[in-house]
Amino acid sequence: MAVTSCKPEVPQYTPTPYDLPQPSYFPTKNNIPDNNPMTEEGVALGKKLFSDPRLSGRDGTDGIRSCASCHHREHNFEYGAPIHTHHAMLPLVNLAWNRTGLGWNGGVASLEDMVMAAVTSPVEINADTNEVVKYLQKTSDYPTMFEKAFGSRDITFINIERAIAQYVRSLVSADSKFDRYLKGEEQLTEDELAGYELFCTEDGADCFHCHGGGGLALMTTNLFYNNGLDDEFNDPEDRSAVTGSHWDRGAYKAPTLRNIAVSSPYMHDGRFTTLDEVIDFYSEGVKDSETINPLMHHVMDGGVQLTPEEKAWLKAFLNTLTDEKFLNSPDDSTPKQ
Amino acid sequence: MKKVQFLTLVLAAIIAVSCTKPASHGDMSVSINYSVNGKPLITDSLCYRNEAENEFMITEIQWFISKMELQDERSEWVALEPKIFYIDTNIPESHAINITSIPVGTYKALRFVFGLDEEYNRTGLFTDPPESEMFWPDLLGGGYHYMKLNGKYLDTEGHLAPLAIHLGIGQNADHSEFYQNYFIAELPIDLALTENTENQLDLTMIIDNWFRDPNLYDFNEFGSAIMQNQVAQQTLKENGQDVFTWSVFEEQNNKDMKKEELVEEFNRIMQKAAPKPRFWSWENVKERVSSAASRHSEERSNTK
Repeated sequence: MAVTSCKPEVPQYTPTPYDLPQPSYFPTKNNIPDNNPMTEEGVALGKKLFSDPRLSGRDGTDGIRSCASCHHREHNFEYGAPIHTHHAMLPLVNLAWNRTGLGWNGGVASLEDMVMAAVTSPVEINADTNEVVKYLQKTSDYPTMFEKAFGSRDITFINIERAIAQYVRSLVSADSKFDRYLKGEEQLTEDELAGYELFCTEDGADCFHCHGGGGLALMTTNLFYNNGLDDEFNDPEDRSAVTGSHWDRGAYKAPTLRNIAVSSPYMHDGRFTTLDEVIDFYSEGVKDSETINPLMHHVMDGGVQLTPEEKAWLKAFLNTLTDEKFLNSPDDSTPKQ
Repeated sequence: MKKVQFLTLVLAAIIAVSCTKPASHGDMSVSINYSVNGKPLITDSLCYRNEAENEFMITEIQWFISKMELQDERSEWVALEPKIFYIDTNIPESHAINITSIPVGTYKALRFVFGLDEEYNRTGLFTDPPESEMFWPDLLGGGYHYMKLNGKYLDTEGHLAPLAIHLGIGQNADHSEFYQNYFIAELPIDLALTENTENQLDLTMIIDNWFRDPNLYDFNEFGSAIMQNQVAQQTLKENGQDVFTWSVFEEQNNKDMKKEELVEEFNRIMQKAAPKPRFWSWENVKERVSSAASRHSEERSNTK
């Protein structure tokens, strides 16, 4: 009895399943892997790691960074300004329902893989995964958090990947004015409705085939299109790098338009800094090429040819996709380094 | 008392026999194919010419068929499950449909809805891709595309222009009136469905027929974007009536047939079932017959 009572108490590994918000008009199938189910403890750990510069595996002033150094919540988890990586950023929202790979060409299979890529990339966190593990293992707080999340105080990089992936999957943006409109809780203004009509019609701005709408509320198909930005293709990392298909030259993922107003810069290379520039491009700047997607119906006219008034309506609608509650959540205001 | 016991036993025996009688149901697989100019579809190749002399290529075809039914000898329609099938050239496995628990018997016709009718064509029916990506905006009538046939064609100036044959609910100019553009395809077949037979039906979409008979469909006339063009929708709806053809391929497990006999039998069935064999991909069909015959031959060898 005395011997038993002197044994150190072994904490039970009993993680709490995480209840991922599931708007009724979102897909029911998500990409949560069987070997990384979401738990409250895993999401909490991932959230801490996401914002912790110790993820660099080093200290001092030697360029320590975390995910949150560049992924700012108020900018749809993008940087909010041009950044010197090989491609512009994509938003980290509603990725639990992405099924087509990550990155502009879809070449990264999972969020877990994306964590590895970001941590080791020389233009991102630029860390050595072994050093990261050693560094975090020495801390006073992380071993306990890993134990609660994964059942072991021994930190592994696989569990670092899993925790951050869980956190990113928990980033659900579904409370914009447009969401409330879909739920019948709020009406759009006349200008916004006129913009939505343009968005959803082939004779209008013709956005919906790639960027969804009421029937595809992620506001993206998550598929890949050559949208007519260029007529010459020199980027070795477009979609054709993944598929090997000539017909995917110049094709990139259609990003979600949720919170698009705060997601500047736009396009895979960040060439546009304002929504007005983007709308002007689709109106008059579309370039024809052999591999332009067939859904770019108006390419022979150079674009959808909107009037200034129509452009304003379309922009008004795009602004209804901003989810202020999500962007301004005090839940994890991201520290900037 | 003995009489009562005897009657009880007889009744129990009758019930037992009737309960243990195996259900008479069979399975059927439906193979979806496409033909253009009498040959199997090749995507992403500018190698086709339609009746209006448009040169074109097809990138992808995504479409729904629904409410498939077989007509039995008593002319009653037997509904098949599931009710809706999504077919996508980017998803090869979507072209093999397996239907189970069909009452055995002889069937003389088969019909289905091309697209979705009013019962199913409602926004929100699908929330998961790829079906949800077929959504048809509510402003344009709602629901889903019946079909997206995407590709390119050479326009009158020699430019490779986008081609998007998107079919769904049509509407008038101010969206105040909508038109259902789905149609029911009904085809005579000769299907003897048994429990011990691998029953296979081949459904082929003859793509050429979308663009001819009774209406000539010229890509230069209708252009690329036709979702808001009810004239184009109606034209294609009328042309679509003879777009589909069926054939039956019975791979009889226990019948010991020589390859030549099998080919002859298959051709007989094909000629009976497919009213327009000139559009068929005979090379593809014969290849499959030869393959099946080889398999039978091997099985025979193994059992000797």
